[in-house]
Amino acid sequence: MVNRLKNEKIVYFDNSATSWPKPKQVLDSMKFFIEKVGGSPGRSGHRMSINASRLIEEARESVCKLFNFSETSNVIFTKNATEALNICIFSLLKDGGNVITSSMEHNSVMRPIRYLEKQGVSVSIAKCSSDGILDPEEVFKQVKVNTKLIVLTHASNVTGTIFPIEEIALGAKERNIPLVIDCAQTAGVVPLNLNLDEYENCVVVFTGHKSLFGPTGTGGMCVGSKIRLSPLIYGGTGSKSDEDIQPDFLPDSLESGTLNVTGIIGLKAGIDFILKIGLDSIREHEKRLVELFIENIRNLKEIKVYGSLDTNNKIGIVSFNIENEMPSKIGLLLDSKYGIMCRVGLHCNPNAHKTIGTFPNGTIRFSFSYFNSMGQVKYAIKSVKELIKLLK
Amino acid sequence: MDGVITFFSSQQVMKAEKIFKKNNLKVTIIPGPREISPNCGVALCFNYSELEQVNKIIKENNIIYEAIHYYPQIKTISKWL
Repeated sequence: MVNRLKNEKIVYFDNSATSWPKPKQVLDSMKFFIEKVGGSPGRSGHRMSINASRLIEEARESVCKLFNFSETSNVIFTKNATEALNICIFSLLKDGGNVITSSMEHNSVMRPIRYLEKQGVSVSIAKCSSDGILDPEEVFKQVKVNTKLIVLTHASNVTGTIFPIEEIALGAKERNIPLVIDCAQTAGVVPLNLNLDEYENCVVVFTGHKSLFGPTGTGGMCVGSKIRLSPLIYGGTGSKSDEDIQPDFLPDSLESGTLNVTGIIGLKAGIDFILKIGLDSIREHEKRLVELFIENIRNLKEIKVYGSLDTNNKIGIVSFNIENEMPSKIGLLLDSKYGIMCRVGLHCNPNAHKTIGTFPNGTIRFSFSYFNSMGQVKYAIKSVKELIKLLK
Repeated sequence: MDGVITFFSSQQVMKAEKIFKKNNLKVTIIPGPREISPNCGVALCFNYSELEQVNKIIKENNIIYEAIHYYPQIKTISKWL
């Protein structure tokens, strides 16, 4: 890998795992914080700590701007989307009941749910088509008297298909059922066309290090005003320090211990970068990359592309396979011979692969970002075609 | 400055500071005086003569706070704020 980065051509198509590169402002802001600002927010009363507190509050404001949300106290920072999803799932199912989710969900949703199933929670899976498309009716026909939670991804990390989440949110609102939306793959690219202030029973979960261009170790959620979440971690919050019981107000109740301050500042810089460019421009750019790639490989007889090919309903992800070849072998060749980095296999999502018919070998997944170029995609097309010839 | 607003958490202080400043009210973040602010390490001080303005802004913006105190002891250090 070290040689690879020095002189040889490298193409990074694994942005769904983590984005790279990051905007310069992200590193600069983190460096500036460590060198010049420092401080532990919400703890001490001196100027450094106060400055750090202010910066964290400003980071909450940036998150609010991104998600059309107005309450900064209800923006919670976590170390990743998985942590936020766990807080939601464990809180909202703590008294048992039924949970509805889809057949395309990531393990950060499925594993907590399957654990709770063993404790007596009933789990209903809304089946998606083999193209990975979800019909909202499949969700609502599963609603039971004791349904306590619906948790769904905004877009699949395997096929890139965008779910009709706004329609589902309206249905959940009408039925007064909490809805947790996993925006790990869409935050910063696909706007959530919801006024979150009006969807008080929704939680929007995001990760910081994918399309929001923040560093790893960041993530969080916007919590609707009717949702009551319990902490997974208890501890010091810099508030109510005269008491040794956990405070019950947000964000403190869900943010025990010192936040990843440097990371959150980097995340804010990433979000501000995106807001400056505009989600529409970013989406358009990724759409062009996906269109170019799919157009040029879909008609190769050795290639199968998975998921809906409608790029209006897709984020910058393409999962495909080469006939009679293991994805793991192709991934290795793409990296070692062509410098193209991508993720092969099951993508922490066995259920999605079962839904689209690629279990257990998985797929080759290219995931693009704003920083990928048409030139890189053309190079990838050429490389894949050459690889197919070589493997014959 | 001879008034102090205490809060339950520093996030509430940061949020309130922005709102007051936006409404052109002079406030400064100070370490919360222990005897009136056991809950949170920081508080906001202001000119107690502007109490009516403060209450108006709090109401209009749904600011969450713990209490408002007349605290003239601040004057002894306010020249450094």
